[in-house]
Amino acid sequence: MRKAITRRPVLFIALAVMLVAIVAFGIGNTCCQPEGLAPVEVREYEGVDLSSINDFRENSIKGPQEVDVETYTLEITGLVTNPTEYTYDEVLNRYQHYEKVVTLDCVEGWSVTILWEGVLVGELMAEAEPLANAEVVIFHAYDGYTTSLPVKYVMDNDILMAYKMNDVVLPPKRGFPFQLVAESKWGYKWIKWITEIELSDDASYRGYWESRGYSNSADLDESFFGD
Amino acid sequence: MTKQQLIGRTVHWLLTALVIVYLITGFGITEFRIVEPLTFGLLTKSLAQRIHISLEIPFIVLLVLHIWLLPLVRRFKLKH
Repeated sequence: MRKAITRRPVLFIALAVMLVAIVAFGIGNTCCQPEGLAPVEVREYEGVDLSSINDFRENSIKGPQEVDVETYTLEITGLVTNPTEYTYDEVLNRYQHYEKVVTLDCVEGWSVTILWEGVLVGELMAEAEPLANAEVVIFHAYDGYTTSLPVKYVMDNDILMAYKMNDVVLPPKRGFPFQLVAESKWGYKWIKWITEIELSDDASYRGYWESRGYSNSADLDESFFGD
Repeated sequence: MTKQQLIGRTVHWLLTALVIVYLITGFGITEFRIVEPLTFGLLTKSLAQRIHISLEIPFIVLLVLHIWLLPLVRRFKLKH
């Protein structure tokens, strides 16, 4: 009986020492080494409330694509004097970066307002030197999706090819490495996972959804059905 | 079956059919990756959306009729 009473404080002390040691070991292991935290998106920009990256509905034709940045290339092809090919880093390092708050309106009825950061498609095209008869820019994606826009629209409206949204690098499900910011156009023109920009003289070209009943002009102030 | 009952039943069944089509076409828009193969490519996203949009007004009309038709007829009869 007496032995049991004297052992208890010893046990408590031993447990306390162990606890302190475990906590100290844990702090020592974590406190001084940098840890990669999840990127934090901005939700307000110059007085404009922004939507979240997670406010999008995933409605791509084959689901989210995982593009390997090590093997990724962006090609500028078709009616150009200098067909070019860039790696992801080359696109980011060679061209001026721009920011713009633009709202994406989907034909399904939802919309998101996002701060986009990217390079100008016009600047990429200019370096490849488009031929005079190039009328249409056809965008190709990693999943086989395509869409097209007039060259004039792309050049006149400073159309961005975004690599960041709300100050966060595009996640794979949002179109990493690049998504087109086709402002004033319905969402199906905002192609994700861009791999190729082709210049063409085929004004009647229709992309994936455009050949399935949706408008080719896709102007927001018009119906998404028609022409 | 009286005329009122016949009209009432027709409205109810039309509304039921319309709700089912409304739901299927709604899924055809948002879940086109599932619905299109299930319908052997017949119900495409754009077709589903065209049908869905064209059903908006008939749906509201039938719903209003479904809720107020019989009470209105009864009230009308009582007054006369």
